[in-house]
Amino acid sequence: MTALIEAPQSSEPPATRTRTQARSAAWKRRAPLLPALLFTIAVTQVPFLVTVFYSFQSWNMVRPGSQHFVGFDNYVDVFTDSVFLQALGNTVTITVVCVLVAMLLGLGLALLLDRKFLGRGIVRTLLITPFLILPAAGALLWKTTMFDPSYGLLNWAFGIEVEWLSDYPLAAVMTQIVWQWTPFMMLLILAGLQAQSREVLEAAQVDGAGRWRTFVSITLPQLSRYLQLAVLLGAIYIVNSFDAIYLMTQGGPGTASTNLPYYIYQRAFEGFDVGQSSAMGVVVVAMTLIVATFALRLMFRAFDVSRGVK
Amino acid sequence: MAQVAYAGASRVYPGAHSVRAVDGLDLCIGDGEFLVLVGPSGSGKSTALRMAAGLEDVDEGSISIGDRDVTHLPPKDRDIAMVFQSYALYPHMSVRENMAFSLKLRGMSKSEVNAKVEEAAELLDLTKYLDRKPKALSGGQRQRVAMGRAIVREPSVFLMDEPLSNLDAKLRVETRANIAALQRRLGTTTIYVTHDQVEAMTMGDRVAVLRDGVLQQCASPRELYDTPRNVFVAGFIGSPAMNLLTLPVDGDGVKLGELKVQLPVRVEPGEVTVGIRPETLSLVGAAEDGFELQVELVEELGADAYVHGTLAGHADKIVVRADGRTPPRLGEAVRVAVRDTGEVHVFDPESGLRIGAE
Repeated sequence: MTALIEAPQSSEPPATRTRTQARSAAWKRRAPLLPALLFTIAVTQVPFLVTVFYSFQSWNMVRPGSQHFVGFDNYVDVFTDSVFLQALGNTVTITVVCVLVAMLLGLGLALLLDRKFLGRGIVRTLLITPFLILPAAGALLWKTTMFDPSYGLLNWAFGIEVEWLSDYPLAAVMTQIVWQWTPFMMLLILAGLQAQSREVLEAAQVDGAGRWRTFVSITLPQLSRYLQLAVLLGAIYIVNSFDAIYLMTQGGPGTASTNLPYYIYQRAFEGFDVGQSSAMGVVVVAMTLIVATFALRLMFRAFDVSRGVK
Repeated sequence: MAQVAYAGASRVYPGAHSVRAVDGLDLCIGDGEFLVLVGPSGSGKSTALRMAAGLEDVDEGSISIGDRDVTHLPPKDRDIAMVFQSYALYPHMSVRENMAFSLKLRGMSKSEVNAKVEEAAELLDLTKYLDRKPKALSGGQRQRVAMGRAIVREPSVFLMDEPLSNLDAKLRVETRANIAALQRRLGTTTIYVTHDQVEAMTMGDRVAVLRDGVLQQCASPRELYDTPRNVFVAGFIGSPAMNLLTLPVDGDGVKLGELKVQLPVRVEPGEVTVGIRPETLSLVGAAEDGFELQVELVEELGADAYVHGTLAGHADKIVVRADGRTPPRLGEAVRVAVRDTGEVHVFDPESGLRIGAE
């Protein structure tokens, strides 16, 4: 009897000790990650919260002491600002057109690179180069060597005189972005093509499918995951395009090629309107989240080829 | 229905050391015949099959199916169906769509396609799984879908590239019988590639043994087993493999230890390679005629036991089939006799060719 009573008494302390020991062991293991976590919060979440706070303030840095709470006024202004709406439109145009064109070009190049030919390694490296060049350097390269009206290669090659950057500012910027992002798309799609089972392609051949039929019915559906990833990553990066616009057109002429990141930059660092640019930033983040969660998911479902090919 | 004929067909991979993966293959597969191509890995058996499919070029010679020369035709114009080792099912299509793919490409009407697919599914016991994706199927079911995809097309030739090698042992035996039965029922000319000589022996009307791209012998399983044309075929066909020993000729026989083995054929003085299957040898009592064998390994299979050992003064291993219930112990010395000297195979040690036959 005494043994029975004593037993739990003697066994309890070690149990709690092991639990606290386990907890401290877990802490010891995870503690080194803490600085990274704090740093991530400090550089992403805190600025966002501060931005939200600023967006409810009227604060122009040109007039010191003007800072005061204005509620949703900044948001109302943002949605009635025609330049903001134009920038929004430009952003959508740039993103959609650039992602689609870069993806189609990337698909074509990936298909060509997927076959064996002499010098394939060299060609592949050359094709990747635009992606390796700094975006700012790429933008300057296009602005000067390609588009410059007096010594640009485009005018020289076609024997014409076009002021590319002022006549077609949006198209010029998009050309540079497509040039920059096509290699990225190409690499992703090439990886998808090379991950295909050779036997499956051969089975299609034996089943009587020609090249085109094999591509449409077998290759494309199997590529769909890679295409989705390419669209998603491409869209995320291209929505945030800034270098090309800043360096090539300065958003101009007027506001013809202004996109949201560039407009927010202008409002904040040229207009010094902290309140309004913060509100724009919050709106853009909200819209991006909505697009990312609903629109993209909806789109992928619509294109869900894994349900079968007719 | 058609016959398939390889006439001096070769596949040469170019390069600094050009490789003749298939070298001058002459082989005629009769209408409705089940021919098994067998050989160790790298023997060119799959390449030979892929040449018939049109997935591999024919660099020399020609291949014909029926009375058409198909040497340079693309796969889709050859009227063949192929079953791949990995099954190569279309991962994004359901079982039904997998089977219907080739029929749709031919522009067959929807109702006709459905009827054919359902008929094939019933034959292969796949009706329940028609709307599943390949990844939701077991290995055996996937294998049957691959078969189904081939049979719905009613091709003139089936080409099968090691279709059972991804199945577990039990399922393999079962599916082996099913495929053989299905082929007899459909009566479609079939070329079947395998590295497994049990599959070759049990399934084929005839078996063609390849080595390094060269055809060694093409005969019925019985004939391959009883009269292998050379040392390679003798060693490859049969499990466990035939004991092959190169021994000096002693009069009209050879000496295996203290046992004189009479050879069934007349041989020149010198050396010969004798081949004795494990079942031709038997364990005997100490008083009887035989040779001494030092037991090094005993494989017990239940009904039988295979005794591996070495002959005194010989490096070669000898395998003897013994009764499964009373196998000898490891390290023991046993006495072994030749059951029937008529079953002893004799080969020329230089060329490896069979002596006496043909």
